[in-house]
Amino acid sequence: MTRDELKDYITKQFEGKMTLLDTGRHDPMFEVKPADLLEVSQKLHDDENLQLDFLCNLGAVDTGEIFEAVYSLDSTTLKMRLDFKLILPRDGAEVESVQKIWPGANWFEREMWELYGINILNHDNLKRFLLPDDWDQGHPMRKDWDAPDFIRMPEL
Amino acid sequence: MGIIKKLPAHLEKFPGGGIAVTSLETILLQGQSKSVWYLLFGTACCAIELMCTGASRYDFDRLGMIFRATPRQSDLIIAAGTITKKMAPRLRRLYDQMAEPRYVIAMGGCTIKGGPFYYDSYAVEKGIDHIVPVDIYIPGCPPRPESLLEGCIHLQEKIRQQKLSDWQEK
Amino acid sequence: MPELRTEEFQVNMGPHHPATHGVCRMILTMDGEKIVKIEPVIGYLHRALEKICENRTYAQCIPVTDRFEYVTAMSCNQVFAMAAERLAGIEVPERAEYLRVIMLELNRIASHLIFYGVTAMDLGALTPFLYGLREREAIIDLFEMTCGQRLTYNYIRVGGVAKDIPKEFIPKCHEAIDVITEKMSDYEGLLNENPIWLVRTKGIGVMPAKLGIDYGVSGPVLRASGVDYDIRRDDPYSIYDKFDWKPAVHQNGDCFDRYLIRLDEIKQSIKIIKQALEGLPEGDIKAKVSPNFKPPAGEVYARVENSRGELGIYIQSDGGKKPLRVKMRGGSYCQLQALPYFGTNCFIADLVAIFATLDIILPEVDR
Ligand code: SF4
Repeated sequence: MTRDELKDYITKQFEGKMTLLDTGRHDPMFEVKPADLLEVSQKLHDDENLQLDFLCNLGAVDTGEIFEAVYSLDSTTLKMRLDFKLILPRDGAEVESVQKIWPGANWFEREMWELYGINILNHDNLKRFLLPDDWDQGHPMRKDWDAPDFIRMPEL
Repeated sequence: MGIIKKLPAHLEKFPGGGIAVTSLETILLQGQSKSVWYLLFGTACCAIELMCTGASRYDFDRLGMIFRATPRQSDLIIAAGTITKKMAPRLRRLYDQMAEPRYVIAMGGCTIKGGPFYYDSYAVEKGIDHIVPVDIYIPGCPPRPESLLEGCIHLQEKIRQQKLSDWQEK
Repeated sequence: MPELRTEEFQVNMGPHHPATHGVCRMILTMDGEKIVKIEPVIGYLHRALEKICENRTYAQCIPVTDRFEYVTAMSCNQVFAMAAERLAGIEVPERAEYLRVIMLELNRIASHLIFYGVTAMDLGALTPFLYGLREREAIIDLFEMTCGQRLTYNYIRVGGVAKDIPKEFIPKCHEAIDVITEKMSDYEGLLNENPIWLVRTKGIGVMPAKLGIDYGVSGPVLRASGVDYDIRRDDPYSIYDKFDWKPAVHQNGDCFDRYLIRLDEIKQSIKIIKQALEGLPEGDIKAKVSPNFKPPAGEVYARVENSRGELGIYIQSDGGKKPLRVKMRGGSYCQLQALPYFGTNCFIADLVAIFATLDIILPEVDR
């Protein structure tokens, strides 16, 4: 499937569940509601014509007002890519774990939890791993994060 | 024994006899400076340059420097690469495990003052000199193998200029 | 006779361990001599590259990406530049694309030579280390004459490359790849039929293809398990579709195949470089891009195949001169994540072999 066919296919198959966004610059980018995440992911993974079995990347974004969780998928058999994202509120952000579908999501989700403070539901191993064990300064990747020894680069 | 102390600190050969007279200190320090074994402690990019220095073209061994995998057998830590806040206590522990006399070379910008991670990084220790005492700083990102070699030659010089009495005071 | 009581015990490996290629720590649960559980502990090299990128302009980000995966720094430059180009819709001149491919493939060879040397050293053979790094110097010389750096190149820029190659580059490059082609038989001769090497690697640490895909393993490690998947061919970027080559694939998925596949990849890379040198056109090397350019708001995930698998960068732009978010994804990250699921039930010495042949480097894991 080419990128345009893929867009059409998804819009038809996942009506109401996945909306095409115009911000994706190379590969199609969709928006999924957090409540639909598991259902949509399962379908993307199992669909005969998609077979998106490979989770390339999963990361959170802090835009200052909202959080986003961006999933990048790939199919090792049919060789196509698509991205989708969830929009999450900034306080009390929660997202279902997709480990059951793509086990590789485990560490990516742990990282989201650690650096952004997004709570992951049904995750089997939410433990600190990138930051020092005695870290007590919050979630450093948030835009409003600050600490006494954190020096910002001065504007030139 | 006073006469030996006054003799110049280089080897001297008496005519007719195969005897060399020098001070014990010179011999010991010469020997020590020519067999500085370093701990294989590479954390980041600079470690690759450290590896290159140890390999074919640059050949660390000719300075008498051979890598060791354990701190108990080494005299020198070449801190090659970024030391993060999580790694800093481990560096200290490794340093503590080494026997005296021990030396530290800070290789690369990261170990000197945080290097490219000085600004905007929440996880990097800005300089290792408040964790362990540093003898030689080698700037660069990464320093070339030649600079590392030169740094090591400076270290050898430094060792030779010590006094044996310094050891006891430590 | 009273029954002997047995119990599992834990062994700590790392973070400072010569066989972990950096600072990875693994907590091993042992039953006698066998490993029953591996728990990797990472983060000893977490340098907050992503946070740093958020406070730099796009041009300033490129040197930061050098430190992301320094063994093949060219591909990090490439993936960031590619993502920024896709965001802003910049066309890259053809000569620049050719130069990029030459540099990327040379860098891949350099990385595999390090792999060859270091893996053998981990398993107790010092000669391959000296051999591998000797030929690598020839490649590093080429980089040095082009961009002045041995390791962190900052060569591939948004819109093209930083400098044109000097005159002597092409003959020197031919010379270097000829030397490497010639030495390939030395490399193979040293290890391929070496009985100690075979015992240490054959049948050890078999990774099933399904497990690899599930956990996001990519690159040579996945191809050694029989999955014919190479981003250079399947999601073509730059001008890889112009060349005649094919990804190396092996079937067994054990340490030995993971080692063989790297040697095969060197040969394929040499093939690509030869074609690229031949077809190198004249022309511009850089599109006109202002250093403070502002791509329109949008987001993109770009990926390249580097010597450790899929190297991806996700950039979100809000229309300003600095990216809103840069997320880096390295192949080693997923390889290390998958390790506990196929690396158990073997000895610690085998774990060293598995770890080495996965070719994990820690900055890619920790960033
Ligand atoms: S000084 Fe530069 S090359 Fe060395 S570890 Fe730091 S970032 Fe890497």
